[in-house]
Amino acid sequence: MSDVVPALEELWEAAEFDPNDQQKRAIQYVGRPLFLTAGPGSGKTRVLLWRTVHLIVHKEVKPEEIFLSTFTEKAALQLKEGLTALLGLVTARTGNYFDLTKMYIGTLHSLCQRVIADRRFSPDRQRPKAPLLIDELSQYLHLRDRNWRAILSELGWKNANQEINEFFAGRASVSRHHAVSSCISLFNRFSEESLDPPRLRTRTSDPTLLRLIELYEKYRESLRQAKPPVTDFALLQQEALRTLEDLDRRVGASRAGSIFKHVIIDEYQDTNTIQERLIFKLASGHKQVCVVGDDDQALYRFRGATVENLVRFPERCRTYLGTHPEVVPLNVNYRSRKRIVSFYSDFISRCDWRKNGKSKLYYRVMKELEAKRKDSRVSVIASGRDHPDVACAEIARLVKRIIEAGKVADPNQIAFLYPSLKSVQVGRMAGALEAEGLKVYAPRAHTFLEVDEAVGMLGVVMHVFGKPERGGYGGRDYANFFDWVDEAFSGAKALFSTDAALERFVSDRRKETRLVVNDYQALLKVSEREGWAMSQPYDPDAMKRPLLGADGLSRRAKRTFLSAYVEGLVRNRARTQRPFTLTYMILRATSLDWNILDLFYRICGFRHFRKMFEQAERVKKDEGPVCNLSLLSQYIGRFIDEYNASVLSAGFLADDRLQQTFFASYLYALFRRGESEYEDAEDPFPRGRIPFLTIHQAKGLEFPVVVLGNPRKNGWGPQRVEEIVYPLLPRRGGEPLDRMAEFDVMRMFYVALSRAKNLLVIAHYSGQGQSINEPFSSMLDDDFPRIIEFELETLPEPEDADAELPKTYSYTGDFLLYKRCPRQYMAFRKYGFVPSRSQTMFFGSLIHETIDDLHQHLIDKRGRNAQEQRA
Amino acid sequence: MPKSNGPDPNESIEDFIVRRFEENFQRLRFENGHGLAPEVKEAAKRQVLLYWRRLREVAETITDTEVRLSLPGQVTSKKRKFNIEGVVDIVREEGRTVMYDLKTHDPEYIRENLGEYEAQLNVYAHIWQNLRKQELNETAVIATRPSDALDAAWINRDRNASALEDELERWNPVIPIPFDTRHVQDTIEKFANTVDRIEDGVYIPPPPSHLSKKEIRDETFATRVCRNCDVRFSCLSFREYLKTYRPKELPKFRDIYEDAGAEQDREARIDAGLET
Ligand code: SF4
Repeated sequence: MSDVVPALEELWEAAEFDPNDQQKRAIQYVGRPLFLTAGPGSGKTRVLLWRTVHLIVHKEVKPEEIFLSTFTEKAALQLKEGLTALLGLVTARTGNYFDLTKMYIGTLHSLCQRVIADRRFSPDRQRPKAPLLIDELSQYLHLRDRNWRAILSELGWKNANQEINEFFAGRASVSRHHAVSSCISLFNRFSEESLDPPRLRTRTSDPTLLRLIELYEKYRESLRQAKPPVTDFALLQQEALRTLEDLDRRVGASRAGSIFKHVIIDEYQDTNTIQERLIFKLASGHKQVCVVGDDDQALYRFRGATVENLVRFPERCRTYLGTHPEVVPLNVNYRSRKRIVSFYSDFISRCDWRKNGKSKLYYRVMKELEAKRKDSRVSVIASGRDHPDVACAEIARLVKRIIEAGKVADPNQIAFLYPSLKSVQVGRMAGALEAEGLKVYAPRAHTFLEVDEAVGMLGVVMHVFGKPERGGYGGRDYANFFDWVDEAFSGAKALFSTDAALERFVSDRRKETRLVVNDYQALLKVSEREGWAMSQPYDPDAMKRPLLGADGLSRRAKRTFLSAYVEGLVRNRARTQRPFTLTYMILRATSLDWNILDLFYRICGFRHFRKMFEQAERVKKDEGPVCNLSLLSQYIGRFIDEYNASVLSAGFLADDRLQQTFFASYLYALFRRGESEYEDAEDPFPRGRIPFLTIHQAKGLEFPVVVLGNPRKNGWGPQRVEEIVYPLLPRRGGEPLDRMAEFDVMRMFYVALSRAKNLLVIAHYSGQGQSINEPFSSMLDDDFPRIIEFELETLPEPEDADAELPKTYSYTGDFLLYKRCPRQYMAFRKYGFVPSRSQTMFFGSLIHETIDDLHQHLIDKRGRNAQEQRA
Repeated sequence: MPKSNGPDPNESIEDFIVRRFEENFQRLRFENGHGLAPEVKEAAKRQVLLYWRRLREVAETITDTEVRLSLPGQVTSKKRKFNIEGVVDIVREEGRTVMYDLKTHDPEYIRENLGEYEAQLNVYAHIWQNLRKQELNETAVIATRPSDALDAAWINRDRNASALEDELERWNPVIPIPFDTRHVQDTIEKFANTVDRIEDGVYIPPPPSHLSKKEIRDETFATRVCRNCDVRFSCLSFREYLKTYRPKELPKFRDIYEDAGAEQDREARIDAGLET
């Protein structure tokens, strides 16, 4: 080892990286803000990686002085692993070790969470207590199930659902689901635009909107008052910004902007207004902000992203930082064969991006892409211009040939991309592939509940708790949901006919629930007869006897009242301020030994479901079913969290309450929200299956073969929420409302086309009622290469995963766990099943974290003492 | 947003532990969606407090907590690149460096399976020495699970303080691990093979005969591991094992679905989950 820090070039060589001139500049430039406009496949992740390495190794920036945000946690993880590996090269040469644990690297959301809890941002250097972050599903349930009624009655708002639905959709429907969903999307936009209620009120006189603003205020209050206090994604960012502003106010200087020397933001085109403010605030001291992105790939307007953040970055730098950025374009494409790059470059330029039609100003950053791969043979082909059934069959045959010829390493390297997986074209294509004996994986094609595994499992569960009954009201969703219920219920019956043990098991469980309910009612009767109030403390001396005498009380219920263990607990609690109540004891005596998750795992033991596990255990595997089962376990786990159902007592089972909450309320919510996606952050596509993805899901990914399965997206107008929010915004000269939809469609298809590495296939539908969008229809003219002429031999061989960044494995969490039992590893680590008996894990984390806090505390204390002594 | 009002300078360390323990408990409960049975929670708190009482001199000298050790640049025989990672606590004092790995396991299990822990800590030691260019003088596992006698003494501490002192004195949670990096390459190779198996998707459970092996005291793999494994019902090995080797304390095969564990377990789950 030597003490000489190796030069960047030496490290590049060691890592087998050969950057082009633009990349070199992007890696090494330090000075003003840096604006990297990165085309698809231009190696921006590598550039960011090396830029960070360069800062740490050669510019002596400490890892904790870098703020690096990515679009997904997966991207953050990969960057971290890449950094570990590259810095390892330096360590191996010099012995200098770099500790990345304190570096800020993650999604903006997760970094906001850290900012809020980081003592560096707290004036007294104490770790503040941050509210817990809830995700979209929890946000929805929080509003719909726990606060909606209360807030509306507090506001005295009658017929609110109708009024809200009328306001958003022009239809005065009574659907609470629609009203709540619309409100959430509006509230999120308010939060992302930092529109505070007092300010909002001055900008509108619409009576409904004014009431919605009040509702927004109440909603925010309800989050603060939840136990523990929670926050949603959009508000989290406001909290973070407030933390920074508070700090500066309290120390009376600009400290918040000096904590990070370098602020690096990836996927900048998909950031929103509040994030922009945060970013410039963090960079206000050192002014070293580097943003990377591609406006042509902006996809998230519907989540509040404003592509202007990127397009107008130079102006914003002047406004916020009083300086202009260095601009470095990353134009060389390393991903796709030459003709693919030409095709999508041509595609995007066929839209008129000029402002006002003629001026030299554009709503786009203009760029010239250059393909690194010089292979100019045919790599973009279309199906024959034909009826969808015919075109799909043709594509399916091609796909089969590709797989059989070994031109992809696994079927999961061929991706089918769609603007929406709800389109009829998806079913057609899936059918055509299945007819060729191929398997597809389309997690967003249906709502998750419609996949076979969910229908099968939940149908069986329904036989335990009883089938929810269709009411005489409701709209189409309601009817669809109950069709689903019927299907699941009868599907389970069919299963029983082939598996008598399963049927017996289910009927035993059903009896158990009945027993518990009977006990419950008998115990209530005794209490009534004795004139006890349910809330009074349980007094074993006076109550035990009469309770045990309850009519027909089962042995299992008696057990609770007779148990010495329970009696001990009762006596202990009696000495405290919170003795057990009579209600509690009755519920305790009438609790099942299992909850829905336990039931789920037991049902997994029966043949039909067991086989799914066995398929995944094999090396040549089909992982689809087990992925869906694992997702189901996650949704059941969620139910248990949201509704406090970790113990099923008669309180849940009597009066069909469980049926109501689990099926009619929770699953119905999943059904209507279209909850779906199984996502394994590390390995999202099950082997052996051809993935069908929305274009949004494909963001940031690449596939050897891409099929654009539906080159059609009906022109939407601007979204309603956009129409509502637009007039409330301070003017910033963004894209005009009437062109947003057109721009967004172009960008979306651009993302789809640019995912392909070796082959891009476009379905060309025609016939009655069939059409494809412009500019596709003019581009796919008579001279365009078609599948029928395509020579399979010209398709490059699959490459092995060699170029991939190394993965990190934990000694205990991976190696030892796998060694203990590979199958258990598979279930809980690989596929993410939610464990039901996680007491051991909880116990371990609790001890570890507290001891760690203790150590941290002692270290801080020593530091403070030393400081005082010096002073 | 409410901020804490700064530390109470007079807060004792034990009060700090109790406060933080409670905060962590609340947060984890939210994240896990369920609590812990009161007894289990008490046992956890006890472990931390006993750790502090018994190993104060270690706790007070820890200089780096939760250090993430990483060994980059590894390659499997199937050419997969990977890094190895582990987390340890470090004490650096007057030129001596000691590495601790904190475990909540049963110390008896650790003593009986020392080889496993040796392999692990020696890999960590290897990472530390080679990458940080720093000498390491000692490695040890700290097994925070107290002995039954100590547990009992703690519970009776108000009545009999000296018994607690005696038991504390007798309790030895630090298990030194012989320092020997000769087998490190071996372990890393095994690690690499495991990575290949994970990536190849080999997820076969151990055979039924392995499940019946005694691990510690009277406990077998089946009673220690499988019995707490949610996917046991769908596990061929476990099913086979029950048919062939079933010991007394496990229910008969056709009853495995009824098995909610011992009465204690059952009541403990209710304690953890049912709101009072
Ligand atoms: S029951 Fe669980 S731990 Fe036991 S062998 Fe099967 S998968 Fe592994």
